Amino acid sequence: MSEAHLTMGAHSAAPMEAPPFAIPSKKLAMWLFIMSDVMTFAACVVAYAFARNASPDWPRPFHSVTSVAVMTVIMLTSALTMLIALKAAKMSDKAGCFRWMMITAAAGALFTILHIRDWMNMMNQGVGLFQNPWGPAAFGAAFYTITGFSLLHISVGTLAVIVVAIRYQGGRYNADDIEIVSIFWQFIGLVWLFIVPVVYLMNMAR
Amino acid sequence: MTTSEGSSISKYAAVYVALLVIMGAQFLIGYQNISGGQLVTRFFTFAVIETILVVLFFMNLGSEKPLFIKFVVYFTLFVLACMNYPWTDSFRLLVFRLTGFSPS
Repeated sequence: MSEAHLTMGAHSAAPMEAPPFAIPSKKLAMWLFIMSDVMTFAACVVAYAFARNASPDWPRPFHSVTSVAVMTVIMLTSALTMLIALKAAKMSDKAGCFRWMMITAAAGALFTILHIRDWMNMMNQGVGLFQNPWGPAAFGAAFYTITGFSLLHISVGTLAVIVVAIRYQGGRYNADDIEIVSIFWQFIGLVWLFIVPVVYLMNMAR
Repeated sequence: MTTSEGSSISKYAAVYVALLVIMGAQFLIGYQNISGGQLVTRFFTFAVIETILVVLFFMNLGSEKPLFIKFVVYFTLFVLACMNYPWTDSFRLLVFRLTGFSPS
């Protein structure tokens, strides 16, 4: 027997190293990703708040935030449906889990459509990346960067929910995978709860 | 559905309702004509409460090992605290723009 075979045999016989913090590696990876994503979002929000605070003529263009309120309710409701899907997965209720995940994905898709509609309204008012009819040019860049980054997360999250649901239904994924996508979905919902006051409510026309 | 599963969904529903109420309060505050500083203070307070609720209950961090909770919380708070160094500079810029003073 070669030395390589002996070495491999020794490795396979050795006990597996426990994952750090005694949680599954996939879940740890998702938490580490979320922590890095927190930094990215925080950098965007701090940069936005810096520009806003330093500009005495920062525009306040939002007369009504009804659509934002509807989007927030959709996002919070999708967070709840995702948790119900997770509970169903933990009870090995595949059909129930799939159904609730698809409801979550539908809510994500609806949110995305409303968000794009909101963007179209802003563009029709003349707000671009580097210009707007009201004041500092940085407003458009800051608005589209923060909301666009959130929109990107929600769109990708919606696709991820659909893919994971289909694979769970097909038996390739299990409840642990549902939990991981659920953590990501809750995170992007939480980010939206920060974006609403900072971007919309602080800039309402009074 | 077992009793424990049902109770956990009731817990999620309670947190969901709490988050809806907090967001509703934020929208009401948004329509009020109050100063920027007060707005920031109120919104930040609500945001902290929302974060605690979502992270502990919806993201289930509360059911993880204490060492992992400490790792996530301390690391994230440290990074967020480090990002807050430029505020004094933004106030300096604001004063310059309001007074027309330009440092040479």
